[in-house]
Amino acid sequence: EDLIMESEASAIVIEARRRLLEEWRAWRSRIERDLAEEREDAGLPPFGADEEKEMEGATVIE
Amino acid sequence: MFERALTQVKYNKDGDLLFSVSKDHVICVWFSQNGERLGTYHGHQGAVWTIDSNPTSSILASGAADNTVRLWDIKTGKLIKTWDLPTAVKRVEFSEDGLFLVATTEQRMGHLGSILVYSINPDIEGEQDDEPSLKITCEQSKATVVAWSYLNKYIIAAHENGTISQYDSKTGEQLLNVQVHEKGPLVMDMQMSPDRTYFITASKDKTSKILDVNTLQVLKKFETDTPLNSAAITTKKEFVILGGGQEARDVTTTAARQGKFEARFYHKIFEDEVGRVRGHFGPLNTIAVHPAGVSYASGGEDGYVRLHHFDKSYFDFMYEVERTRAQH
Repeated sequence: EDLIMESEASAIVIEARRRLLEEWRAWRSRIERDLAEEREDAGLPPFGADEEKEMEGATVIE
Repeated sequence: MFERALTQVKYNKDGDLLFSVSKDHVICVWFSQNGERLGTYHGHQGAVWTIDSNPTSSILASGAADNTVRLWDIKTGKLIKTWDLPTAVKRVEFSEDGLFLVATTEQRMGHLGSILVYSINPDIEGEQDDEPSLKITCEQSKATVVAWSYLNKYIIAAHENGTISQYDSKTGEQLLNVQVHEKGPLVMDMQMSPDRTYFITASKDKTSKILDVNTLQVLKKFETDTPLNSAAITTKKEFVILGGGQEARDVTTTAARQGKFEARFYHKIFEDEVGRVRGHFGPLNTIAVHPAGVSYASGGEDGYVRLHHFDKSYFDFMYEVERTRAQH
Protein backbone atom coordinates (compact mmCIF):
# COMPACT_ATOMS: atom_id res chain seq x y z
CA GLU A 1 0.00 0.00 0.00
CA ASP A 2 2.89 2.32 0.88
CA LEU A 3 4.42 1.57 -2.46
CA ILE A 4 1.22 2.49 -4.28
CA MET A 5 1.01 5.75 -2.32
CA GLU A 6 4.63 6.49 -3.14
CA SER A 7 4.23 5.84 -6.83
CA GLU A 8 1.08 7.96 -6.94
CA ALA A 9 2.92 10.77 -5.17
CA SER A 10 5.83 10.54 -7.56
CA ALA A 11 3.42 10.48 -10.51
CA ILE A 12 1.99 13.77 -9.26
CA VAL A 13 5.49 15.24 -8.88
CA ILE A 14 6.46 14.10 -12.36
CA GLU A 15 3.26 15.51 -13.81
CA ALA A 16 3.91 18.85 -12.07
CA ARG A 17 7.46 18.94 -13.44
CA ARG A 18 6.23 18.13 -16.93
CA ARG A 19 3.80 21.03 -16.71
CA LEU A 20 6.50 23.43 -15.44
CA LEU A 21 8.83 22.36 -18.22
CA GLU A 22 6.17 22.90 -20.86
CA GLU A 23 5.18 26.30 -19.45
CA TRP A 24 8.80 27.42 -19.41
CA ARG A 25 9.52 26.21 -22.93
CA ALA A 26 6.35 27.82 -24.28
CA TRP A 27 7.29 31.12 -22.64
CA ARG A 28 10.86 30.87 -23.97
CA SER A 29 9.77 30.21 -27.54
CA ARG A 30 7.39 33.19 -27.41
CA ILE A 31 10.09 35.48 -25.97
CA GLU A 32 12.72 34.25 -28.41
CA ARG A 33 10.37 34.87 -31.34
CA ASP A 34 9.58 38.41 -30.09
CA LEU A 35 13.28 39.12 -29.57
CA ALA A 36 14.13 37.88 -33.08
CA GLU A 37 11.47 40.25 -34.49
CA GLU A 38 12.71 43.22 -32.49
CA ARG A 39 16.30 42.49 -33.50
CA GLU A 40 15.28 42.23 -37.13
CA ASP A 41 13.47 45.59 -36.88
CA ALA A 42 16.67 47.05 -35.44
CA GLY A 43 18.66 45.58 -38.36
CA LEU A 44 20.47 43.08 -36.15
CA PRO A 45 21.15 39.37 -36.75
CA PRO A 46 19.33 36.86 -34.52
CA PHE A 47 20.71 36.72 -30.97
CA GLY A 48 23.79 34.52 -30.68
CA ALA A 49 24.39 34.31 -34.44
CA ASP A 50 27.75 36.07 -34.17
CA GLU A 51 28.81 34.07 -31.14
CA GLU A 52 28.49 30.50 -32.35
CA LYS A 53 31.85 30.62 -34.05
CA GLU A 54 33.69 32.24 -31.16
CA MET A 55 32.41 29.63 -28.76
CA GLU A 56 33.87 26.79 -30.79
CA GLY A 57 37.19 27.33 -29.06
CA ALA A 58 35.68 26.77 -25.62
CA THR A 59 36.32 23.38 -24.07
CA VAL A 60 32.99 21.75 -23.40
CA ILE A 61 33.19 18.56 -21.42
CA GLU A 62 30.22 16.51 -22.48
CA MET B 1 45.54 35.50 -3.81
CA PHE B 2 43.56 38.29 -2.17
CA GLU B 3 43.76 39.37 1.41
CA ARG B 4 40.46 41.18 1.50
CA ALA B 5 36.88 40.18 0.83
CA LEU B 6 35.87 39.78 -2.81
CA THR B 7 33.14 42.07 -4.09
CA GLN B 8 32.55 40.93 -7.69
CA VAL B 9 33.87 38.38 -10.18
CA LYS B 10 32.99 38.63 -13.85
CA TYR B 11 33.95 36.82 -17.06
CA ASN B 12 34.50 38.67 -20.33
CA LYS B 13 32.18 37.86 -23.22
CA ASP B 14 34.46 35.18 -24.71
CA GLY B 15 35.00 33.64 -21.29
CA ASP B 16 38.79 33.42 -21.55
CA LEU B 17 39.29 36.13 -18.92
CA LEU B 18 37.99 36.45 -15.39
CA PHE B 19 38.06 39.82 -13.63
CA SER B 20 37.86 40.14 -9.87
CA VAL B 21 37.60 43.04 -7.46
CA SER B 22 37.75 43.18 -3.69
CA LYS B 23 37.95 45.53 -0.77
CA ASP B 24 41.60 45.88 -1.81
CA HIS B 25 42.06 48.80 -4.17
CA VAL B 26 43.30 46.59 -6.98
CA ILE B 27 41.50 44.97 -9.92
CA CYS B 28 42.79 41.55 -11.03
CA VAL B 29 42.47 39.69 -14.31
CA TRP B 30 42.98 35.91 -14.53
CA PHE B 31 43.04 33.33 -17.31
CA SER B 32 39.80 31.47 -16.70
CA GLN B 33 41.19 28.19 -18.06
CA ASN B 34 44.03 27.71 -15.56
CA GLY B 35 43.49 30.42 -12.94
CA GLU B 36 46.82 32.06 -13.70
CA ARG B 37 46.93 35.78 -12.92
CA LEU B 38 47.40 37.84 -16.05
CA GLY B 39 47.63 41.28 -14.52
CA THR B 40 46.34 43.99 -12.22
CA TYR B 41 44.89 47.48 -12.63
CA HIS B 42 46.04 50.08 -10.11
CA GLY B 43 44.53 53.48 -9.39
CA HIS B 44 41.46 53.19 -7.17
CA GLN B 45 41.79 54.74 -3.71
CA GLY B 46 39.16 52.63 -1.98
CA ALA B 47 37.34 49.30 -2.02
CA VAL B 48 36.43 48.38 -5.59
CA TRP B 49 32.79 47.28 -5.63
CA THR B 50 32.17 46.41 -9.24
CA ILE B 51 33.63 45.70 -12.68
CA ASP B 52 32.52 44.83 -16.21
CA SER B 53 34.25 44.42 -19.56
CA ASN B 54 32.80 45.57 -22.86
CA PRO B 55 31.78 42.97 -25.52
CA THR B 56 35.04 43.30 -27.48
CA SER B 57 37.10 42.89 -24.29
CA SER B 58 38.98 46.12 -24.98
CA ILE B 59 37.62 48.30 -22.16
CA LEU B 60 37.10 47.48 -18.49
CA ALA B 61 34.84 49.64 -16.32
CA SER B 62 35.09 49.76 -12.54
CA GLY B 63 33.26 51.50 -9.70
CA ALA B 64 34.58 52.05 -6.20
CA ALA B 65 34.27 53.48 -2.71
CA ASP B 66 36.56 56.33 -3.83
CA ASN B 67 33.52 57.85 -5.60
CA THR B 68 34.82 57.18 -9.10
CA VAL B 69 33.88 55.20 -12.16
CA ARG B 70 36.97 54.37 -14.22
CA LEU B 71 37.64 52.96 -17.65
CA TRP B 72 40.76 50.89 -18.34
CA ASP B 73 42.50 49.62 -21.44
CA ILE B 74 42.27 45.87 -20.76
CA LYS B 75 45.42 45.01 -22.75
CA THR B 76 47.83 47.59 -21.33
CA GLY B 77 46.22 48.26 -17.95
CA LYS B 78 46.24 51.98 -18.73
CA LEU B 79 43.58 54.16 -17.07
CA ILE B 80 41.66 55.88 -19.88
CA LYS B 81 38.90 57.77 -18.05
CA THR B 82 37.87 58.76 -14.53
CA TRP B 83 34.44 60.09 -13.66
CA ASP B 84 34.32 61.74 -10.23
CA LEU B 85 30.98 61.36 -8.48
CA PRO B 86 29.58 62.60 -5.17
CA THR B 87 29.30 59.14 -3.58
CA ALA B 88 30.48 55.52 -3.88
CA VAL B 89 29.65 53.44 -6.94
CA LYS B 90 28.19 50.01 -6.21
CA ARG B 91 27.48 48.61 -9.68
CA VAL B 92 28.53 49.23 -13.28
CA GLU B 93 27.41 47.34 -16.39
CA PHE B 94 27.95 47.74 -20.13
CA SER B 95 24.96 47.50 -22.47
CA GLU B 96 25.05 44.47 -24.78
CA ASP B 97 26.45 46.57 -27.66
CA GLY B 98 29.05 48.14 -25.37
CA LEU B 99 28.02 51.67 -26.36
CA PHE B 100 26.65 52.60 -22.94
CA LEU B 101 27.64 52.09 -19.34
CA VAL B 102 25.21 52.25 -16.44
CA ALA B 103 26.38 53.03 -12.90
CA THR B 104 24.64 53.40 -9.53
CA THR B 105 25.73 55.86 -6.88
CA GLU B 106 25.11 55.57 -3.16
CA GLN B 107 22.83 57.74 -1.09
CA ARG B 108 24.69 59.91 1.44
CA MET B 109 23.81 62.99 3.41
CA GLY B 110 22.86 65.65 0.89
CA HIS B 111 22.93 63.23 -2.03
CA LEU B 112 20.14 60.97 -3.24
CA GLY B 113 21.13 57.71 -4.88
CA SER B 114 21.28 57.94 -8.66
CA ILE B 115 21.54 55.86 -11.79
CA LEU B 116 23.88 57.28 -14.42
CA VAL B 117 24.28 56.32 -18.06
CA TYR B 118 27.46 57.21 -19.96
CA SER B 119 27.94 56.99 -23.72
CA ILE B 120 31.06 54.95 -24.35
CA ASN B 121 33.48 55.67 -27.17
CA PRO B 122 34.75 52.18 -28.14
CA ASP B 123 37.99 53.71 -29.41
CA ILE B 124 40.49 53.38 -26.56
CA GLU B 125 42.54 56.31 -27.88
CA GLY B 126 39.43 58.48 -28.36
CA GLU B 127 37.82 61.00 -26.03
CA GLN B 128 35.09 59.97 -23.59
CA ASP B 129 32.24 62.31 -22.65
CA ASP B 130 32.64 64.05 -19.30
CA GLU B 131 28.94 64.11 -18.50
CA PRO B 132 26.42 61.27 -18.33
CA SER B 133 23.92 61.04 -21.19
CA LEU B 134 21.18 60.28 -18.66
CA LYS B 135 20.74 60.73 -14.93
CA ILE B 136 17.93 59.11 -12.97
CA THR B 137 17.57 60.29 -9.37
CA CYS B 138 16.15 57.67 -7.01
CA GLU B 139 13.77 59.86 -4.97
CA GLN B 140 12.07 56.95 -3.21
CA SER B 141 14.81 54.48 -2.47
CA LYS B 142 18.40 54.18 -3.70
CA ALA B 143 19.31 51.52 -6.24
CA THR B 144 21.58 48.76 -4.95
CA VAL B 145 22.15 47.03 -8.31
CA VAL B 146 21.33 47.83 -11.95
CA ALA B 147 21.39 45.97 -15.26
CA TRP B 148 20.58 46.44 -18.94
CA SER B 149 17.81 44.59 -20.75
CA TYR B 150 18.10 43.28 -24.33
CA LEU B 151 18.63 45.91 -27.04
CA ASN B 152 19.32 48.61 -24.39
CA LYS B 153 15.57 48.95 -24.05
CA TYR B 154 15.26 49.13 -20.28
CA ILE B 155 17.43 49.75 -17.28
CA ILE B 156 16.41 47.47 -14.45
CA ALA B 157 17.20 48.52 -10.89
CA ALA B 158 16.74 46.83 -7.53
CA HIS B 159 16.13 49.29 -4.70
CA GLU B 160 16.92 49.38 -1.01
CA ASN B 161 13.19 48.97 -0.23
CA GLY B 162 13.02 45.59 -2.01
CA THR B 163 11.26 46.90 -5.11
CA ILE B 164 12.48 46.49 -8.67
CA SER B 165 12.08 49.20 -11.28
CA GLN B 166 12.03 49.20 -15.02
CA TYR B 167 13.17 52.49 -16.63
CA ASP B 168 13.01 53.57 -20.23
CA SER B 169 16.73 53.77 -20.99
CA LYS B 170 16.29 56.71 -23.40
CA THR B 171 14.14 59.01 -21.26
CA GLY B 172 14.79 57.68 -17.76
CA GLU B 173 11.06 57.43 -17.15
CA GLN B 174 10.07 54.80 -14.60
CA LEU B 175 7.72 52.41 -16.39
CA LEU B 176 7.23 49.80 -13.68
CA ASN B 177 7.99 49.43 -9.98
CA VAL B 178 7.15 46.17 -8.25
CA GLN B 179 7.65 44.90 -4.70
CA VAL B 180 9.67 41.73 -5.28
CA HIS B 181 11.73 41.26 -2.14
CA GLU B 182 11.26 42.11 1.51
CA LYS B 183 11.88 45.66 2.64
CA GLY B 184 14.95 45.80 4.88
CA PRO B 185 17.17 42.95 3.70
CA LEU B 186 19.00 44.27 0.62
CA VAL B 187 18.93 42.91 -2.90
CA MET B 188 22.64 42.22 -3.36
CA ASP B 189 22.86 40.96 -6.92
CA MET B 190 20.99 40.93 -10.19
CA GLN B 191 22.25 39.10 -13.29
CA MET B 192 20.72 38.93 -16.75
CA SER B 193 20.15 35.79 -18.82
CA PRO B 194 22.51 35.59 -21.83
CA ASP B 195 19.92 37.18 -24.15
CA ARG B 196 18.87 39.68 -21.44
CA THR B 197 15.17 38.79 -21.62
CA TYR B 198 15.00 37.64 -17.99
CA PHE B 199 17.10 38.06 -14.88
CA ILE B 200 17.81 36.63 -11.46
CA THR B 201 17.99 38.47 -8.14
CA ALA B 202 19.66 37.55 -4.84
CA SER B 203 18.42 39.06 -1.59
CA LYS B 204 19.41 39.04 2.06
CA ASP B 205 15.78 37.94 2.60
CA LYS B 206 17.13 34.44 1.73
CA THR B 207 15.34 34.19 -1.58
CA SER B 208 16.33 34.50 -5.19
CA LYS B 209 13.84 35.18 -7.98
CA ILE B 210 13.70 35.07 -11.75
CA LEU B 211 11.77 37.89 -13.42
CA ASP B 212 10.64 38.65 -16.95
CA VAL B 213 12.47 41.80 -18.07
CA ASN B 214 9.42 43.11 -19.99
CA THR B 215 6.71 42.65 -17.34
CA LEU B 216 8.75 42.28 -14.11
CA GLN B 217 6.56 39.28 -13.40
CA VAL B 218 8.18 36.80 -11.01
CA LEU B 219 8.61 33.54 -12.94
CA LYS B 220 10.61 31.48 -10.45
CA LYS B 221 11.45 31.63 -6.77
CA PHE B 222 14.30 29.87 -4.95
CA GLU B 223 14.07 29.64 -1.18
CA THR B 224 17.12 29.05 1.00
CA ASP B 225 18.01 29.17 4.69
CA THR B 226 20.69 31.82 4.43
CA PRO B 227 20.99 35.48 3.34
CA LEU B 228 22.02 35.57 -0.31
CA ASN B 229 24.68 37.77 -1.86
CA SER B 230 24.79 36.48 -5.40
CA ALA B 231 22.84 34.53 -8.00
CA ALA B 232 23.88 33.45 -11.49
CA ILE B 233 22.12 31.69 -14.36
CA THR B 234 23.99 28.82 -16.01
CA THR B 235 24.06 28.29 -19.75
CA LYS B 236 23.97 24.79 -21.32
CA LYS B 237 22.11 23.52 -18.24
CA GLU B 238 18.86 24.78 -16.68
CA PHE B 239 20.40 25.66 -13.32
CA VAL B 240 20.97 28.68 -11.17
CA ILE B 241 23.82 29.05 -8.68
CA LEU B 242 23.18 30.87 -5.42
CA GLY B 243 25.70 32.00 -2.84
CA GLY B 244 25.64 33.72 0.50
CA GLY B 245 25.97 32.89 4.16
CA GLN B 246 25.98 34.69 7.43
CA GLU B 247 29.15 36.30 8.75
CA ALA B 248 30.80 34.23 11.49
CA ARG B 249 30.33 37.03 14.03
CA ASP B 250 26.57 36.91 13.50
CA VAL B 251 26.08 33.21 14.13
CA THR B 252 27.66 30.24 15.80
CA THR B 253 30.99 28.97 14.48
CA THR B 254 29.25 25.84 13.24
CA ALA B 255 27.98 27.80 10.25
CA ALA B 256 30.82 26.50 8.06
CA ARG B 257 30.11 22.90 9.06
CA GLN B 258 26.41 23.35 8.41
CA GLY B 259 27.26 24.20 4.83
CA LYS B 260 26.21 27.82 4.97
CA PHE B 261 29.20 28.74 2.83
CA GLU B 262 28.49 26.45 -0.08
CA ALA B 263 27.49 27.40 -3.60
CA ARG B 264 23.97 26.03 -4.03
CA PHE B 265 22.70 24.72 -7.33
CA TYR B 266 18.97 24.87 -7.99
CA HIS B 267 17.03 23.66 -11.00
CA LYS B 268 15.95 26.83 -12.79
CA ILE B 269 12.58 25.48 -13.92
CA PHE B 270 11.62 23.12 -11.06
CA GLU B 271 13.03 25.35 -8.26
CA ASP B 272 14.52 22.31 -6.43
CA GLU B 273 17.96 22.31 -4.89
CA VAL B 274 20.08 19.80 -6.85
CA GLY B 275 23.53 20.12 -5.33
CA ARG B 276 26.11 22.08 -3.37
CA VAL B 277 29.78 22.88 -3.82
CA ARG B 278 32.03 23.58 -0.85
CA GLY B 279 35.23 25.57 -0.84
CA HIS B 280 34.88 28.88 0.96
CA PHE B 281 35.53 29.60 4.62
CA GLY B 282 33.20 32.57 4.74
CA PRO B 283 30.11 33.89 2.93
CA LEU B 284 30.10 33.79 -0.85
CA ASN B 285 29.89 37.37 -2.00
CA THR B 286 29.84 36.91 -5.75
CA ILE B 287 29.28 34.22 -8.38
CA ALA B 288 29.74 34.32 -12.16
CA VAL B 289 29.11 31.68 -14.82
CA HIS B 290 31.35 31.23 -17.88
CA PRO B 291 29.38 32.45 -20.95
CA ALA B 292 29.69 28.99 -22.54
CA GLY B 293 28.54 27.33 -19.33
CA VAL B 294 31.76 25.31 -18.87
CA SER B 295 32.82 26.72 -15.50
CA TYR B 296 31.89 29.12 -12.75
CA ALA B 297 33.81 31.37 -10.39
CA SER B 298 32.99 32.41 -6.86
CA GLY B 299 34.51 35.09 -4.65
CA GLY B 300 34.27 34.89 -0.89
CA GLU B 301 34.44 37.01 2.20
CA ASP B 302 37.46 34.78 2.95
CA GLY B 303 39.43 36.57 0.20
CA TYR B 304 39.57 33.65 -2.21
CA VAL B 305 38.48 33.42 -5.82
CA ARG B 306 37.57 29.83 -6.66
CA LEU B 307 37.27 28.51 -10.20
CA HIS B 308 35.25 25.35 -10.88
CA HIS B 309 35.25 23.53 -14.19
CA PHE B 310 32.12 21.44 -14.62
CA ASP B 311 32.62 17.70 -15.11
CA LYS B 312 30.76 15.04 -17.06
CA SER B 313 28.32 14.19 -14.26
CA TYR B 314 27.22 17.83 -14.16
CA PHE B 315 26.43 17.86 -17.86
CA ASP B 316 24.79 14.42 -17.69
CA PHE B 317 22.49 15.35 -14.81
CA MET B 318 18.89 15.51 -15.99
CA TYR B 319 15.47 15.01 -14.51
CA GLU B 320 13.45 12.13 -15.90
CA VAL B 321 10.93 14.53 -17.50
CA GLU B 322 13.75 16.44 -19.20
CA ARG B 323 15.18 13.19 -20.53
CA THR B 324 11.90 11.96 -21.99
CA ARG B 325 11.08 15.41 -23.30
CA ALA B 326 14.54 15.67 -24.91
CA GLN B 327 13.97 12.48 -26.89
CA HIS B 328 10.82 13.75 -28.60
